[in-house]
Amino acid sequence: MFDQKGQTRIIEAFLAIAVIFSVLLISVTFPSSPNLDRQKFLANSGTQVLIKLDANGTLGNLIMQENWTAIKRSLDILLPIGVSFNLTVYDENLRQINSQAVQNSNLLSREAVSVQYICAAQDLNVQFFVLRLQLAWTR
Amino acid sequence: MSRKRSNSGQILLIAAFIMASLLLSAQLYILEVGKTTGELESDSLNDFLLAMKLGSRHVVIGSLANISNGGQSGNLAGNLRKWSSLISEQYQFGKSVLTYAVKETAPYSSGIWTSWSVNGTGISSAYANFTYKLSDREVNVDQSYFMNITTAVFIESSYQTVSGDTKQVNVTISLLNEEAPALAKQIAIYYRFLDSWQIPDATNNYNILDYGNGTYIASFVANILSQNVEVSVHIVDQREIYVQANATSTQI
Repeated sequence: MFDQKGQTRIIEAFLAIAVIFSVLLISVTFPSSPNLDRQKFLANSGTQVLIKLDANGTLGNLIMQENWTAIKRSLDILLPIGVSFNLTVYDENLRQINSQAVQNSNLLSREAVSVQYICAAQDLNVQFFVLRLQLAWTR
Repeated sequence: MSRKRSNSGQILLIAAFIMASLLLSAQLYILEVGKTTGELESDSLNDFLLAMKLGSRHVVIGSLANISNGGQSGNLAGNLRKWSSLISEQYQFGKSVLTYAVKETAPYSSGIWTSWSVNGTGISSAYANFTYKLSDREVNVDQSYFMNITTAVFIESSYQTVSGDTKQVNVTISLLNEEAPALAKQIAIYYRFLDSWQIPDATNNYNILDYGNGTYIASFVANILSQNVEVSVHIVDQREIYVQANATSTQI
């Protein structure tokens, strides 16, 4: 009888340990909370760069000229080092208009933030564009 | 005593379950707090408002450039309608509504004022008022702003008789964008000969000096029969806005 009690207690202790360990395992496998400061910095940098390019109408003019190389070069220069980007440009009817990729590297499998920007081209024929800039830190 | 001892294993299990649930709820709470992006949205909203005002400015400038180059005066309202519609389709922060009103009080009509007078002053201007409203569960924005885009040119012309009907004409041109000195993209100068306007060229010793601060001095020599030496300056600024001014030269 005494031996049985001892075995039961050992089993209960093992069960308790198993419960605690399984919870610890679950919490470890939970998706980690995204680093908001880094994401915020990325989103702010992206928007600020687009605003800077748009301030004197350069952004809209480059899009109208379909000068994707110049836009990529500008983003390369203005964004912080170590940031990967991918820019997609749509017209006012949300049809993609950039015929070639405006990106410095592939963003696949990276934690990216997306910034949406509305742009009006300062031109004799005013046109409107929706820009989606995806940004991620280079590993 | 023996009953107490026999229950201790169950208490251990219950305690383990309580600890497990505490750990899990703490983990879930941390994740939930991590999802709160209020500050992030606030910064993004400010950037969105800035971008919207920039876009409004570009629309007004582009429309004025179009109209001053011969486009219809209704183009300003038409472009603003498209712009406000596009802004109102943005739902990142809640329900957005951008309304506009082009200025209709004199001297503006349909938001446009062009005055290309003969007294040495030329003005091409556009004016529109905007109201932006954003309503969401957490944020409410109600902002009014206006866009007044004005390209102005002021000219002063003088001449001196070189010999007979040959006159040396000097034209001083000042170009302004929103009352600040601005650079020209293109300048064309004409002088009146009988009933037609002539463009001075190299045969007229035409020369123009750019002072880099919005001031230009043009000079040329021309055979002008009349003592009334009329000049006309046509300018396109860096924003493609066209403006012109005419003046009668004073003799020195």
